[in-house]
Amino acid sequence: MGTISSALGMMSQALDADQAALNIVANNVANANTPGYTEETPNWEENQPVTINGVSYGTGVTETGPTSQRDRVLEERLDQQQQLASASGTRLTALNTMQALFTPDSGSSSSTAGDIGSDITSFFDSFSSLEANPTDSSLREEVLTSASTLAGDVSNSAASLNEQRAALDQEASGTISQVNSLTSAIAQLNQQIMSVSPDGDAGTLEDQRQQDLSQLSQMIGINQATTENNGLSITTTSGQLLVSDGSSLQLTTGAVNGVTDFFLGSTDITSQLASGGGELGGYLTARDQDIPSALGSLDQLAYNVSTSVNALNNAGTDLSGAEGTGTNAAGVTGTGTTPLYIFSEPTQVAGSAESMSVAMTDPSQIAAAGFGDGTGDNSNATAMAALAGAAIVNGQTPSNFYSNFVSTLGSTISEVQTQNTAQNASVTQLQTQNDALSSVNLNDEASAMTTLERSYQAASQVFTMLNSIMASALNLGEQATVS
Amino acid sequence: MQSFGTHREHPELKDLVVEASRALARLDAGRLEELALSCQVLNREMKSAGAMERTALAGQACDAVTDMAVFARVLEATRANLNVMHRLRELYAGRLEYGERAARGWAVGKENGHGDN
Repeated sequence: MGTISSALGMMSQALDADQAALNIVANNVANANTPGYTEETPNWEENQPVTINGVSYGTGVTETGPTSQRDRVLEERLDQQQQLASASGTRLTALNTMQALFTPDSGSSSSTAGDIGSDITSFFDSFSSLEANPTDSSLREEVLTSASTLAGDVSNSAASLNEQRAALDQEASGTISQVNSLTSAIAQLNQQIMSVSPDGDAGTLEDQRQQDLSQLSQMIGINQATTENNGLSITTTSGQLLVSDGSSLQLTTGAVNGVTDFFLGSTDITSQLASGGGELGGYLTARDQDIPSALGSLDQLAYNVSTSVNALNNAGTDLSGAEGTGTNAAGVTGTGTTPLYIFSEPTQVAGSAESMSVAMTDPSQIAAAGFGDGTGDNSNATAMAALAGAAIVNGQTPSNFYSNFVSTLGSTISEVQTQNTAQNASVTQLQTQNDALSSVNLNDEASAMTTLERSYQAASQVFTMLNSIMASALNLGEQATVS
Repeated sequence: MQSFGTHREHPELKDLVVEASRALARLDAGRLEELALSCQVLNREMKSAGAMERTALAGQACDAVTDMAVFARVLEATRANLNVMHRLRELYAGRLEYGERAARGWAVGKENGHGDN
């Protein structure tokens, strides 16, 4: 009934509701700089009207608690992009460290581990010099010196790569304790959220959970799914369960073939984690893919150069007239009892680079002469110099093999750099959108969407025009060159 | 506008591409629209370019290839983000529509009383 007392009651309720809303606004202002805090808006609920004699009397509104302005779909997309950006960023850092080993610093002729490309050229050139004067002792010294430089640089590069691999291994295993503590924290938050707010937004608890999820996304590739009662389950991107509502499964580590592998229960999930994303994905991709690939190429180079040079030297006659134990191209086998090897003879490809070294200490043992041609002969030195242009490493000359290896590494870096730049750009865009969504003002939200659409359309125009300009420019350039 | 290749006041193609990627990353629609206009002018100028300028532009195009790949990736990521935002909006619209229908259905059911199917 519309009495003065009921009117006063409604006014009092309205004031209470306003006070509650002001508290929420004050909370938003106080937490404006709190990382991960999502702005809250008040929820108004109409009170049940009172009907007396067929006439309905309104009883005002009540403030029923705040709702955070969050969107899980967008936050999940942001987390996914963050995982990709972290993985490519970590991998890129590792690749750049690798490249520094093989690329001379600016203003310098050699890199951290020397310049293997010019070492190869100098080594085979030293045989060309010896060819002209096969008995000259200083030229013989020069062959061993250049062999030693080549072997040292290859060996140092391989050792540095192995050191880098060990460092990445440590970094990767170091992330596991953080991953485990984050998954435990998320499981605990799940429990709290599910008991406190099974049907709605849990406010700061959800903020904390989202912040933990963002941190976890930096570390490892994950998928997330909301479960009943506002819980959350988390799996790795390949589907292994890490968190299921209030319980979490811990990742463990173990040494396998000299590196750390990662287990969930008794299952080795290292390769799945490598392709999953996050810093861990980046570390593992560099450790298990990029470095082994580079080491494999160096091993192949060291093995083929060492065995090819040794085989030829062992099929010749040294300065003292001693013959090697090998068989020459004409099928003649030397009369020697000990092989005449310049490099330590590798027994297998794997590990050849790090163990590459010069075995010969006496330069007179360089077999510049062929079998039975006298010590002044140069035919074997000529054959060894010709190895520079022979396809002895996987169907390529040693120099070409090495330069292809370096340029492949450069291309990989360029590709990962491109991925990383685009992924970081995507993260920035999504953060902008997420910030707008967290804003209390719905107009800001609509405006952010319009800006995204407008930017995409303008960028598409720019891209189409630039693409056309570049295609035409390249054609114009060709015409100009031809004319 | 001065002809390209010979005057440094004119931005290199590479600079244009890099700037476009950056503007798109920070969703600077205004800057992107300016760049679109610059590209239109460049396109017009190219048609009347001399032999030396053509060669210079061809060199610039070669230099800009890698950055163009980056721009393409950023554009691709933006399209994916835009799709997510569109889906999100549809989801909201669907929720609102569903909410209204559900409310209306509930009201109708109430009016029809027991036994209504």
